[in-house]
Amino acid sequence: MHRSVRLPMAASMALIALCGIAQAQQQPTPSPNMSFFVTSKGPGKGADLGGLAGADAHCQMLAQAAGAGGKTWHAYLSTTAGPLPPNTPAAAEPGKTINARDRIGNGPWQNFKGVTIATSVDDLHSDNNKINTENGLTERGQKVPGVGYVFNMHDIMTGSQPDGRAFPGQMNLTCSNYTSSTFGKVEVGHVDRTGLSDTRQAHSWNSSHQSRDCSQEGLISTGGNGLLYCFAAQ
Amino acid sequence: MSITQRSSILASAALLALVLSGTAQAQQATNMTFFVASTPIGKGGDLGGLEGADAHCQQLAQSVGAGGHTWHAYLSSSTNATNPGATVNARDRIGRGPWQNAKGVVIATSVEDLHSDGNKITKESGLTEKGTVVNGVGDTPNQHDILTGSDMQGRAFPDNVNLTCNNWRSSQYGSAIVGHVDRRGLDDSVFQRSWNSAHMSRGCTQPDLVATGGNGYLYCFATN
Repeated sequence: MHRSVRLPMAASMALIALCGIAQAQQQPTPSPNMSFFVTSKGPGKGADLGGLAGADAHCQMLAQAAGAGGKTWHAYLSTTAGPLPPNTPAAAEPGKTINARDRIGNGPWQNFKGVTIATSVDDLHSDNNKINTENGLTERGQKVPGVGYVFNMHDIMTGSQPDGRAFPGQMNLTCSNYTSSTFGKVEVGHVDRTGLSDTRQAHSWNSSHQSRDCSQEGLISTGGNGLLYCFAAQ
Repeated sequence: MSITQRSSILASAALLALVLSGTAQAQQATNMTFFVASTPIGKGGDLGGLEGADAHCQQLAQSVGAGGHTWHAYLSSSTNATNPGATVNARDRIGRGPWQNAKGVVIATSVEDLHSDGNKITKESGLTEKGTVVNGVGDTPNQHDILTGSDMQGRAFPDNVNLTCNNWRSSQYGSAIVGHVDRRGLDDSVFQRSWNSAHMSRGCTQPDLVATGGNGYLYCFATN
């Protein structure tokens, strides 16, 4: 890039062309078929995402910024029925069971580079899915730092069981349906399919373990940073 | 609770004690095979593992003359990274029943009965080893949360969740599934009415257990 900037800029047409190339190199654009990404950042308030609506809006906003805002994006999250603590915002939708697997469309889904990570909802929830360090890219095409990195943030919030369904109502593994940074825990998956032990859970992309708590620090302390899986629902 | 209500309960309790003290004592020694621990271990979800919890039940039973039975705490533990192969179901470690409380009332006739809607655990029958009632909804403080770490069928959870405070060895990591001995909670759902699987504690410290309506109490069953 430095070399190209130093080139003689005689014609304005050439200048425009060079700018276009430089831009593309600086910020690579996603495959036009991108329908899956991991968020490059979280909203920052731990697992308080402003409910499902807030999480979906976060996915949409990041997709938009990356030039993929033409699709309807949903966060891969489940919510659980059950009583919520006092003063819980109405966005929590108490008593409503929603399964992450039912809100992401039918697939297939492709990542930033156009690689298909799953062909269907059933494929996504089988051992055949292709989510891993190489394929679990952000909307900007970056890999998510996982096990082995200084700042391991491989925990992706899902609030879901391995089959992509909600937990039963005696558990609060959704940080009060993503409205609280103080009450409950949140279930997470490992985007790099790697964890502390060689177990089925540690290898799970969507249901590895629960966070320490619902604060941003709590998410970080157990290997996350408040990131989400986003899918184009249509 | 009003003062008049409280004094009338006290009065009737005293009367009951006067009338029944002799027989109740005898029943405890011979028939009691179920109780709620009247005191917590005190370190939150760290019970010293299943062994520590069992010893707590045994010691409380001993203190009321019921130490002739082998007592186990109704707790499950899950396989996890630090405890491979540690899956234990609460329902498999409490004998076969029937079980009776400190007043000789049968709370369940079998393991199946205990885990059905037919079980008789209520605020009135879920007595401590001393025959006292556990504080529930409406009492101050409410201590109706009993540690179980179990699903509604009395089985352990899978290892993608830590709902046993690291298999009852941590007051720091995870949380604990608890049941409501008074069968009452924040709403009228199947979970809030559950004696063994109502909700999660805030965390695993003693203050965390207190914060969500408990005090670190256990269900204790005689296995023989």
